[in-house]
Order: sequence, then structure tokens, then C-alpha cells
Amino acid sequence: MLQIRGLSVSFATASGPLAVTRDVSFSIAPGERLGVVGESGCGKTVTGLSILGLLPRKSTTVSGEILFEGRDLNRLGPEPMRAIRGREIGMIFQEPMTALDPVFTIGEQISEAYRSHFPVGRAQARERAIDSLAQVGIPLPARRFDEYPHQLSGGMRQRVMIAMALICEPKLLIADEPTTALDVTVQAQITDLLLELSQNAGTALMFITHDLGVVAEVCTRMITMYAGEVVEDAPIDAALLKPRHPYTSGLLRSLPRLAKRKSLLPSIPGRVPLPSAMPTGCRFLERCGYAQSGCKSDQPLAEIEPGRLARCSRAADIELPGATA
Amino acid sequence: MTAPAETPLLEVRDLKIHFATRDLGITVKAVDGVSFDVMSGETFGIIGESGSGKTTLGRALVSLLKPTAGHIRHEGVELGGLSTEALRQARRHYQIVFQDPSAALNPRQTILASVCEPLEIQGGLSRDEREARAIEALSRVGIAREYVRRYPHMLSGGQKQRVNIARVLTLRPRLIVCDEVVAALDVSIRGDVLNLFAELQRDFGLTYVFITHDLSVVAHVSDRVAVTYLGRFVELGPTEAVSDRPMHPYTEALMSAEPIALPSAMRTGKRIVLEGEIPSPIDPPSGCRFRTRCPHARELCEQKEPEWRELREGHWVACHFATPDGPPLASTH
Repeated sequence: MLQIRGLSVSFATASGPLAVTRDVSFSIAPGERLGVVGESGCGKTVTGLSILGLLPRKSTTVSGEILFEGRDLNRLGPEPMRAIRGREIGMIFQEPMTALDPVFTIGEQISEAYRSHFPVGRAQARERAIDSLAQVGIPLPARRFDEYPHQLSGGMRQRVMIAMALICEPKLLIADEPTTALDVTVQAQITDLLLELSQNAGTALMFITHDLGVVAEVCTRMITMYAGEVVEDAPIDAALLKPRHPYTSGLLRSLPRLAKRKSLLPSIPGRVPLPSAMPTGCRFLERCGYAQSGCKSDQPLAEIEPGRLARCSRAADIELPGATA
Repeated sequence: MTAPAETPLLEVRDLKIHFATRDLGITVKAVDGVSFDVMSGETFGIIGESGSGKTTLGRALVSLLKPTAGHIRHEGVELGGLSTEALRQARRHYQIVFQDPSAALNPRQTILASVCEPLEIQGGLSRDEREARAIEALSRVGIAREYVRRYPHMLSGGQKQRVNIARVLTLRPRLIVCDEVVAALDVSIRGDVLNLFAELQRDFGLTYVFITHDLSVVAHVSDRVAVTYLGRFVELGPTEAVSDRPMHPYTEALMSAEPIALPSAMRTGKRIVLEGEIPSPIDPPSGCRFRTRCPHARELCEQKEPEWRELREGHWVACHFATPDGPPLASTH
């Protein structure tokens, strides 16, 4: 359904173009739930925004293909893109308070999302909006319809965002850290809801997060991003148990939950290279415990076994610890 | 962990911290009746969601906030009763590190100047002595000498948090309140910073109060854990017991809600999804504060506030129906 090929994004800066992602390729099948994990600055949010055509056109260069049901979104003009965004591809962001307009009722905002894609009257859109509020588990939806965002709690606001994203029944939902700002008991409600809605409606999900636990619960496949590149792409259980890229392995091992209490926590030494000073060859080299001389050359994202890719020339001959190690 | 000393390092009794809003005549009961001891050399974890009062509590523990009612004694002394000068001398022993490592540092000051500042406030040392002590503290937390003349923006988040730790270390504190100290850091460097805290505790015999919303962090570092809900403790006990065999229904739900990075087939235990969200501390529910979200709530829970009971040795719970075997059994809910 969605196929990203060789996507590179760079921002124009005073000192010339700054490459933020390079050669990002992956695909999402209908109904599939793909987790995109990585730490701050790895390019996961930019990748999501570029699919939606939401990066500022003037100051951003996007090269590569974003094929959505055969059409290259990267070549689409603003007008046809608007017809797809919100309709075919829905989106939810981290902070529901900034994504909602404080001066309109939530009902007006959800109805507007629907009416911008379907030629229906106010009354009909209202009905539809109330239905979708009920669908995301908002109690007394008809009453909530007339409330303003500030009258709702954080969890309820995120439910509103989900209702708004799903009202047009998109084929793909891009969710960027949708539970990061929420408390853990509320996060559990929202991940359960997303999972249920995606399963019932067959909506594909691109779930961007830094939280490997959430990915494990929601997704069927995961890609790991590091320093603007996809470094691993694998079915979820395989990625968690037997990661094939040292960075994925390092992330899993640094989770305190999986370590013995009070034991020394494994961590990844060093820090992510800056976009302005990206090394050639493997971008993880400096921080990698498995580095060899061959790692200094460019590392392609290569298939190691059917359905599994890794950007590591050593992937075939090293055994990496996963979540249970 | 060193053996607990006789007198607790911290003694908190019936502590209440209320905030009155000026215009609306409303009182926010951020902390509303909390009692506990922290023993010397231990790590005491406080876990809770937003609005539970954990940050307010942490600030009160280092005298940044005054109790509305109740007592906090540091090694037997109530800091609130001290003169300004005596308080200044005493509070050096009780320090706090905050969540956002950038916000805690002055962007216009070098790292060295920031780390020297607490010593300047304390007085008594020459400039050279202060700098020497700051450099020593910085090197202790892994900030090399060539960094000390740099500004905060030239450092990574993890390095900045190390600087903040060095800053309180210069005062040679006995207690450090750590308020969400790794929440703003990336996963791959969290481990490093947590390891550093553990190392400093071992080397300097420090006592920590570790405040966090992150179950995995609190479970990893703490000897004992208290679970907060709406300004009160609902459970307190040894970390393993609280996380593996909780007695309060809220703790049980909280533990089960934590997403774990394991394949679904390997995740044990049933997820308990609570309904709704934490109510407002302005108008907490009558009786048990958790009853509005509790799957086991009965009439009694609405009428009567549960007592704080020690059901297992050193393991306390505030629930009418909890037993030493665990939370109340699943009702017809």
C-alpha cells in the first residue's frame, strides 16, 4: 500500500543544505502495524511528516519516492495532496492540546475534518462526529461535542484526535508518539484503543515512538532508525528477540525493566553524530562494540533472511543479545 | 545498600501541602497527609502519575516548599524551625536534581561557573578552592576538564544532567532528591546516568529519594517504593514486593499497564485497564480517593477513608479490602 523508496530529506540552512534523513526505504501493507523506533533526532518524525507532505516546501528538499497505492506523493501538488491527507492517510501527533484549536468546540473540529472530504451538511456531519466520538470511547459524546479542548483531560483530547483522524476511515494512520504525553494508565487505554480500531477497520498503522514497550504491544513489524537512516527492518517478535543490528540490540539491552534490579545497566557509549558532521561508512561505528575495518565503507540496507533487513555488514556473522538476554 | 541507621535521615509525618488559588477561593491539595521515613543510605522510590503530588512532595523534602501541616525532620531537626542562616547551613546536606537538565543550567554561564555557584552561596571557600572542588566533582561524574569552560548548549542532554549532579555533589550532601532525573534523556544514555547515581551512592554513602513516573526506573534503583495517588500514598514497601506482589488495586493496575518490550507470547500477567483518569486534587473523591477508578470499589469505599495498614512486614497499604495475599479479588465488575 505504502512504499517508500530512497527517501532523503534535507533542510535549507544558512550554511547550506542539512541532510536529516538518507535513503529511507520501507513499506507498509494494508492492515499492517509498523513501529518506527529510534531516539530523538533519528529522523522518524521527519519521515512521517514527509509522507503527509507537511514539511515546509520552501525550505525542504525531499528526494525519492513515496508510493501510496501506486501514486508518488512526493510528486503530487498541494491540492491533490490535500485530498489524500486526512482522507486516505490520517494522522495523530504527540501533544493533543497543540493539535486542537482552543477556540472551536471539539465537535466543530471533528465535523470540519469530515466535511472537508465529504459533501454533507452540518447536521449529518454532526451525527457522524458524535458516532466517532462514541467509537473512541468518549462518554456522553453528544454533550462532549459542544465542549472546548480545555474542558477535556489529556487522555480525552487524544481520543478526540483519534476520532478526528479516523472519521474519514483512512487506509493508513500515522501516529507520532501518540501516548508519550500521557500517564501510563491512560497510555494503556489509548494503545488498546488504537490496536482495536486498527484491527476492526483494517486500518494500517505507522506508529512512531521511542518506546520499545509500546511498539511490542501494538505493532506487527518494526523498523529502527539511527542518524537519519533505517538500520533494521524486521517482524516485531524477531526484532525483539534476535535483533540483527547492534543499535537495536543496544536499545533493547538498555531498558531497565529487563535488567536485574540494581545491576549495572548496559548503555550505548557516546552520542549520535550531528547531521552536520555525519561520518562516512556506518553511522553507528563510533558507538558500536562490534565494529571492524569493513564498517568504514558504506553500509547498504541488505536482506539477511527473508523479511529481515539490516544495515550492517557484520549482521550475518554476529550473534546479538535481544530483549531476553 | 548500607545497613539502615537508627534515626531515619528523613522523617515525614502527616505532611500536607495545599495551594490556595488567589482569585477563585479554591484549594489544591497537592500533598494531603503522607507519612514515611527514609533511612540513611537507602534509595526510596516515589512513583505516581501526573497530579499525584510527587513533585510537590520532593520539593518539600528539600525545603523548597513549606508544609501546610505536618512535619518533616532531617536527622531529627525540623528545618522549618531554623533561622535563615542556620537553614542555609543545614540545607546543603539535602539537595535536589530536576528533570530538565537544560532548564536547570544558566545558558550564559560556563559549566564551571554553574557548578561553583552553590559553593559561592554557601561561602567559606576561596575562588581557587571552589574551582578545584567543582572540577573534582565534574571529573567524578565523567565530565572531562576540557569541557569545564564550555557553555550548556555545547553539551548533550546526558552531559548536562551530569553537570547538574556535579553541582549538588560539590556541597557533599547526604540526601539527594532526584525528580524525574532521566525522563528527558534518550533511552541509550539513561542507563549511564542511572549507573552514575548508583556509583555515587556507593562511594559517598548517599541517600536518594527517587521520584518518577517510570516504573522500570523506580523498580531498578529503589530499595523501597511508595505509590502515590492524588496526594496520598496508597502503598509502601520493599521494591520487589510492591512490584511483583502488590496489595493495592491501583499499584496492581499501574504495574500491569507498563508496556514491556517482549513478544506478546512472553508477556505474562493480565493487563488491567483502568477507566478514566486521575481526578482533580481540588475536589478529591470522598472516602478512598481511588474508588472512582477502582474495579473493586464498594459502598464502604465511598463512605470511609481506608486506614494505612501494615499487612506484611514493612509493607503498608491503604485499601479496605486488601489482604496480605494481595488486592481484593476480582469483583463482578
